[in-house]
Amino acid sequence: MKKRGRGIACMWYPIGFTVAANASAAVVKVNEDGTATVLTGTVETGQGSLTVLGQIAAEELGIATDDVHVVSADTDTTPMDTGAIASRTTYVTGNAIRLAAEKAKEILFQVAAPMLGVKPEQLEARDRKIQVKNYPQRCIGIGEVANHAQFVMGQPALGSASYNPHTVSLDPETGQGKPFATYVYATQIAEVDVDDETGEVEVLRIVASHDCGTPINPMLVEGQIEGGISMGIGFALQEEMLFDKNGKQLNPNLTNYIMPTSLDMPEIEVDIVKNFDPTGPFGAKGVGEPTAVPTAAAIMNAIYNAVGARVHSLPATPEKVLAAIKVARAKQLAKPKAKALAKPKAKPAQKRLAAR
Amino acid sequence: MAQKSNKQSKRMDTPMSEKSRPVRSKKSAGIGLPLEGSGTLRLPAVAKQVPFPIEALAPKVRQQTPAVGQRATRPDGRLHGLGQTKYIDDISFPGMLYCKIKRAGISSALIKKIDTSEALAMPGVMAIITGKDIPVNSYGPSIKDQPVLADDRVFHAGDGVAAVAAITEQIAQEALEKIKVEYEPMPAVYDPFEAMKDSAHKVHAPASNIYATKLIKKGDVEKGFRESYRIFEDTFSTQMVEHVPLEPHCSIAAWDANGRLTIHSTLGRITLGRTDMARTLQLPLSRIRMVATIVGGNFGGKNEITQEPALAVLSKITGRPVKGTFTRVEEFIATTTRHPINMHYKTGVSKDGRILARKVRLVLDGGAYCSWSETTLGKACILSPGPYNIEHVHAEAFVVYTNKTMTGAMRGFGAPQVCFAYESHMDDIAEALNIDPLEIRLRNAFHEGSSSPTGQVLHSVVVKDSLLQAAERFGWKEIR
Repeated sequence: MKKRGRGIACMWYPIGFTVAANASAAVVKVNEDGTATVLTGTVETGQGSLTVLGQIAAEELGIATDDVHVVSADTDTTPMDTGAIASRTTYVTGNAIRLAAEKAKEILFQVAAPMLGVKPEQLEARDRKIQVKNYPQRCIGIGEVANHAQFVMGQPALGSASYNPHTVSLDPETGQGKPFATYVYATQIAEVDVDDETGEVEVLRIVASHDCGTPINPMLVEGQIEGGISMGIGFALQEEMLFDKNGKQLNPNLTNYIMPTSLDMPEIEVDIVKNFDPTGPFGAKGVGEPTAVPTAAAIMNAIYNAVGARVHSLPATPEKVLAAIKVARAKQLAKPKAKALAKPKAKPAQKRLAAR
Repeated sequence: MAQKSNKQSKRMDTPMSEKSRPVRSKKSAGIGLPLEGSGTLRLPAVAKQVPFPIEALAPKVRQQTPAVGQRATRPDGRLHGLGQTKYIDDISFPGMLYCKIKRAGISSALIKKIDTSEALAMPGVMAIITGKDIPVNSYGPSIKDQPVLADDRVFHAGDGVAAVAAITEQIAQEALEKIKVEYEPMPAVYDPFEAMKDSAHKVHAPASNIYATKLIKKGDVEKGFRESYRIFEDTFSTQMVEHVPLEPHCSIAAWDANGRLTIHSTLGRITLGRTDMARTLQLPLSRIRMVATIVGGNFGGKNEITQEPALAVLSKITGRPVKGTFTRVEEFIATTTRHPINMHYKTGVSKDGRILARKVRLVLDGGAYCSWSETTLGKACILSPGPYNIEHVHAEAFVVYTNKTMTGAMRGFGAPQVCFAYESHMDDIAEALNIDPLEIRLRNAFHEGSSSPTGQVLHSVVVKDSLLQAAERFGWKEIR
């Protein structure tokens, strides 16, 4: 019979390397028409990092995402970057790009100040214009300023900068220190059906509530969360590399190494927790890795809630779940009164779902 | 201009929802444009040519200011959708050769002899190299214990022993069969707990199999246990998994007449990659150019070089560009994987479910080489107590060599493993104390200014917010 259960898991996860320096450098060039080119040594690995980095540069320069072209991943042309690792791109590379864009913007302000009859400190960049703070009617198009800077003042607007997260090394005896500049937090709740005769687990729904500081691009944050959950489901229920007794892999192929497909994906509901990290670019932290962290834990707790069976080793294959169910039943028989807690929870959940 | 391009992007996006699905016709200029006549959908054997748009296709959301917070579409999204993204394997150069690597297939052995003569005599085979042809045959992000191609020892079954460059992939593959390697099997160890024993076979003798450790100590854990109302103890373990990126590892090495090397690679970290190339090939950094494109999935598996120095040496010998693309089998046997971790938890709690003390012991199966194990070890150890205020913490972690596929960086660096353990453990504690799982987490969760297990004062902490927000969305309280 299929039993329904729910499980909750929360987590914390750091941004960047453990203590070790993991710098990023960036160059931002404002073209003479007010568009911009960003040079970064990071590599787009499919997560949309270049879009996010472009948005950060655009925000600092007061222009639109589409006005920015990001050049990446060529050691001859792009500056040093520690790379797409440790959920650090938005935070570390993003900070470097923001700082570089700020420097380019300062040149624009210096050029625009006499044109507008104010001091550079009184200016801001917004909506593709350089304008006087609290008096936006007094403005010049950013393209005009950039053109003037380059061709009249001979002062092209470009900036370069680098960023390295602030850490304090760990005491070798006690491990005390500040290994990371910042952390993100998240909770996932899973709802599952467990067949108590076969041990098969079906994940029905996952609610994911993730902190990433300011979401620079909420759509890409959601994409990361959904992708991370699919990886988490594989880790929880299906994927396992097996070895024979001589250390040779038994299933090095996608026929026998089972990964979740779209058919295994549950309904996913994503929430981004409101947060702002003052050390991140526009309050942003990161989201890449943490999305895959709490999924397996939530599913295991849901299995326990459904059938009272605690799985101690991943993946929770039907064989392992069935074995755990048998252990749970044996325990229940041994002390019939004490452990009747887990079961009644399952029923109201079913009722509620039927009503939905 | 913006408006016009919007219109165009709409036209390109609509056809999938139209009733008449695209059929083969001369008129089908754009991808999937609705055409006259319905009939069954026939997929063309070769993808149709897509005309390049004259005007930039920029959806409105990319044109808005301020830029932060916009659901801006990715400039590479259209290319992915049209199947036009150029990955490394889509690139080829005139005269390019293909490389294949012979894998050991035995997990611990001494290489007595490698006979490449028969393979080298095959028509189309241009060069074959072994470990001795790599100028500095070792690499690794922390411990440089991994050879590009095996020297005289095999440490795991996926080790490469020889690399072939041939005019076609097929010939290179066939040449692997003709390479004769004589092995002398050696003792091996596969279980991390076995490997930790003094009597165990030393994978990288004379060094100990425990190649890195980590210790986090805060407060006095024994005192915490003495003050606890109840103590819970449990052990959890996880398996080895692969990253399985859609795109396998692929690189092309090419030298120019000035002796400058260009590597096109799927590497996610070109800065470190170039440093590794310079070291293994003994070249100044200025003579190496490393170029990446959009990587088809990394997840930590493409954080270090693999075959690149071998490709570079083959290219230098032959004077032609050399491409190497891993097969799916190689992705499993010859690239890094996620650490299996054995996790022992001992937790002391107060009557109202507050965690007073927690002792954690982690044993990570490190496989044959260090790779990113030190980082994984550190992160797993620091994160292992969970996002909870605990006064007394003792967390220790060990990573151990075994004669298995090396473990390394993978999305979460040990965090998914320890999260499974600390959160399973948490629910068991909650049930024993008859506290709701959400409630026990709220009672213990970090708050702004909490002190982490390493004594760091935490800022922008929203664990409780995320717990409450998820519970609200799920209907956690209603169901109870």
